[in-house]
Amino acid sequence: MALLEISQLKKTYGTGEYALKGVDVSVEAQEVVALLGLSGSGKSTLLRCVNRLVEPDSGQVVLDGVDIPSLGKSALRDARRTMGMIFQEFNLIDRLTVLENVLAGTLGVTGTLRGIFRAFHGDDIQRAIELCERVGIIYHIRKRADQLSGGQRQRVGIARALMQRPKILLVDEPTSSLDPKIGREVMDLLQEITKEAHIPMLVSVHDIFLAKNYSDRIVGLQAGEKIFDQPTSSVEADSFDQIYHEAS
Amino acid sequence: MTDAAIANPLRDPKETFRRYTIFGVCAVFLLVIGKDIIIDETDWARMGTLAEMVKTALFFVPEWSFFPQTVGPLLETLLIALWGTILAVTVSVPIAYLAARNITPFPVLTYPLGRGLIILSRSTHEIIFALIYVSALGLGPLPGILALATRSLGFLAKTTAEAIENADPGPIEAIEATGANRLMVFCFGVIPQIFPIFVGNVIFQMDINIRRASILGLVGGGGIGLMFAEVMQNLYYGRAGMIVVGITAMVVVGEFISNRVRQRLI
Repeated sequence: MALLEISQLKKTYGTGEYALKGVDVSVEAQEVVALLGLSGSGKSTLLRCVNRLVEPDSGQVVLDGVDIPSLGKSALRDARRTMGMIFQEFNLIDRLTVLENVLAGTLGVTGTLRGIFRAFHGDDIQRAIELCERVGIIYHIRKRADQLSGGQRQRVGIARALMQRPKILLVDEPTSSLDPKIGREVMDLLQEITKEAHIPMLVSVHDIFLAKNYSDRIVGLQAGEKIFDQPTSSVEADSFDQIYHEAS
Repeated sequence: MTDAAIANPLRDPKETFRRYTIFGVCAVFLLVIGKDIIIDETDWARMGTLAEMVKTALFFVPEWSFFPQTVGPLLETLLIALWGTILAVTVSVPIAYLAARNITPFPVLTYPLGRGLIILSRSTHEIIFALIYVSALGLGPLPGILALATRSLGFLAKTTAEAIENADPGPIEAIEATGANRLMVFCFGVIPQIFPIFVGNVIFQMDINIRRASILGLVGGGGIGLMFAEVMQNLYYGRAGMIVVGITAMVVVGEFISNRVRQRLI
């Protein structure tokens, strides 16, 4: 059984837009699946339906045997702790330091009183420092997050997600706000770390190069529907044209 | 019509005529009302001649020897302002939480409640609040403190709620995605974003409250206002002048301090 099994996921926004029209995606343990599609194809919506930042209208999302859409508030929080999310716009807390941002990844488990006074556990601090070293921002840990460059900020985002010791990483266009060279460095880092730690990833991209070079399987989305689902190695260069041409 | 448009490309002549007519009517209206309210209902004889006015003004020349006696009440006024602001800050945060459309817990109930409290606070003058509290608690600083707090919390809660509504949803989403509870999402996702605005507004209210506190004493709220009411009643105009100078000095010092604090914190 796959680690993450999404079946017949549907979502319509209040304005009448069909964002997802019944999509099936599965992610095996230790697999990297790329969601490829143009803007508006439903990639971000799909990712956010997995951890219910967006509530799906219908369909199943089963992570490690647990159906996420049916969970109550408290159980949902527990489930979210096992899913690390990385955002296109980084979504760091600008006024806090890099270290505090990484430690924010533990807020699902750090007690409320400790959280208010930012008195994180010693082992968590130690682990956060190790993660900062691993992602290459150790020299910046005392800087405020808004003093960093784009690539550095995304590294902080990666470290924060990894702090959660997640079962799976949900990655939303991680390089769309970065220039190409920095973007590739970030993707290399993500690939290394997830292979080391055996963490599967569901990554949305709109760049063919990234999909081809960083994933085990490619799922093509267009206008809320799945039009493609193949192992990356079996995909020919002209299949990509098919995905993109269908759009016009 | 086309010729007129070319002749005056910036403004349609019909529109201009309409505009000036409306201005004219309003101006005449204001002048007529002004004559009625201001000129006809004023007792001009009471003011006396120019010489008499100057003589009365001279009564208020400050009696400098009275200064030491004003220091205590002035300090009390400062403390009333400080405590009023602190109390307002404490109460305004939960009200802002209720009144912010994006994070209010039970929108149908709590959002109108939050906004309602804000409106109540902002629509009533602090003197009225002070009168209410004085009748409940008697004379002294406490009613003054409560009156200031009740008046200030509206502004603080409103601006804070607006800052919360305008906060970037990205960081809030990110903290939610870690499985944190509502309070943690608020502390980490919302508070750091609104902190600079909040601090700026607190300093601003503290400044205003010093001025408000000075006059609350007139209705029994303690501080320098009480002393001012007494000296005016006893016709010690020189002392009243001294008090005015003292209040001015206190406000200037307050502004100076608040500017320094603002620079340090933001």
